[in-house]
Amino acid sequence: MINALRWIVFAIAALAMNFPILVTFSTSLKSARELSTNPGLWVYAPTLENYATVFTVSDRLNIFLYLMNSIAVAALGTLLAVALALPAAYAIARGKLGERTLLPLTINLRAVPLIIFAIPLYMMFQWLSLLDTRLGLGLILTIVNLPLALVILVNAIRDLPGELDEAALMDGATRFQILAKVIAPLCRPAIVTSLIFGFITAWNEFLFGLMLTTSKAVPITVGASFFFAASGGGVQWGVASAVMIVGALPPVLLGLIMYRQISGSMTAGAVKG
Amino acid sequence: MTTISQRAPSSEFRLLAVPLVLFLLVFLGFPAIVNLVYSVSEVSFETLRSPDISGFSNFAAVWNDSSFWQASWFSFRFGLLTAVLECSLGLFLAIFLSPLVERRSWLMAILMLPLMVAPALVGLMYRLVLHEFVGPVPYYLWTWFGASFSFLGPTSAFWTLTAVETLQWTPFAFLLFYMAYQAIPKEIIEASAMDGARYRHRLCYIELPLMAPTIVVALLIRFIDGFRVFDNVYVLTGSGPGGSTASLSIYIYEAFFKQGAIGKAVAASVILFVVSFAVLYGLNALAARRKGAR
Repeated sequence: MINALRWIVFAIAALAMNFPILVTFSTSLKSARELSTNPGLWVYAPTLENYATVFTVSDRLNIFLYLMNSIAVAALGTLLAVALALPAAYAIARGKLGERTLLPLTINLRAVPLIIFAIPLYMMFQWLSLLDTRLGLGLILTIVNLPLALVILVNAIRDLPGELDEAALMDGATRFQILAKVIAPLCRPAIVTSLIFGFITAWNEFLFGLMLTTSKAVPITVGASFFFAASGGGVQWGVASAVMIVGALPPVLLGLIMYRQISGSMTAGAVKG
Repeated sequence: MTTISQRAPSSEFRLLAVPLVLFLLVFLGFPAIVNLVYSVSEVSFETLRSPDISGFSNFAAVWNDSSFWQASWFSFRFGLLTAVLECSLGLFLAIFLSPLVERRSWLMAILMLPLMVAPALVGLMYRLVLHEFVGPVPYYLWTWFGASFSFLGPTSAFWTLTAVETLQWTPFAFLLFYMAYQAIPKEIIEASAMDGARYRHRLCYIELPLMAPTIVVALLIRFIDGFRVFDNVYVLTGSGPGGSTASLSIYIYEAFFKQGAIGKAVAASVILFVVSFAVLYGLNALAARRKGAR
């Protein structure tokens, strides 16, 4: 009895929270004709024509470019964040270095409204000609990803027994060698988690994509909004829906495959940070 | 006897931390300084590289700008309300659904799905969901109740945005609380059952107090994220109607990109910068003291 109630609550919660995704998916399968007569959730004559339109490149809209940009900036922002965070995490966890300054400062970045750095970064990028480049946006996404990567990696290294390091030191290894040969391989699960989580976060970022790119390096979150203003007349809702589904798909698939690791890392960042 | 790893930081450790420190100095330290200099300067896009130090007129302009206060009030109200709603709903779902999710973890994946979608895309999706001609919500309201209303109108926009944010981020609170709930040692629950504690008492006197630290953290995280909201609000309402849904992030963005008021935007950034670091520093100090007391 109570279990039936639990299932009902689950169904309502799942439906309510996923409602925009369901609606968008259903709309993306409607033909322009059906769209004008049937705003409901059910699709009577599903078609893929909207997706075909989305993947047709025009001089104004190029979804392949937006997707490639997103892949490139998310990959750069994620790999660089982990590459910077791993050695620092080792120094913090084992060298007791920066536990009172570097670690809390970086973690607090997670909680600071990043808009406060946006304007100077915009000017800086103008001087350095980094505006509207993948490199520029990737560097900013590194900042966005650093806090969580650092927390996850510091926690992972702290969980490893210190005897490992000492045994290697006795054998004459340097700290760099220990990091590369002992610590990094043992931290692989944590590294993978930070990479996945960072990629999803970076892919979904919008504010800096909006400010720092205009055409060449536009990521999909910003590019998707271009489809809302496409062509004279009103919004083509079927096409716009298909774009949103395509743009949401990579992080959603990644999230569905790796949801266990992600749920763990989210709580790590929240509770231990 | 001190072990090797407890000795004073060696130069090798310093070297390992150098890349991160340099990166932070370039991408955050330098912008922070630029912020401070520009906030007390008279600056426009033409004089970007040679700002004139001019005192606190930018701060005065922000201080006397009613839309700054309107945006602050929006951010505060939005952060507080969404944090409370998300955490209440998330707490209820975590406890009530845990018997289901314990046995079938894929249910969790379904509930986590909204967290994987970009807030900007979710905002755009709601433009479709709430659209008066093609959106299902107004359509079903018309079919079933014979009436609908303007979800993004002056009186309702705030509440619509609150619902949008809450529905997307309740899963985050759910996740934190579910983990905390699962982490309660089973012996404690069994012992209380042996002592004949009722479910209601067990919940109020054992489980919720044990989850209290997580609840505080979740409220805090969700408040901060609600306070600095940009993406979904920006794509859904811009800042309208009439600036009524401009968050502080949107206020700064628009001051800079739409009005070209660099000084004002930078001064508002500095205010936000100082306030957030003061609050975070206070919270850290508080947390450290509690840890020390234990």
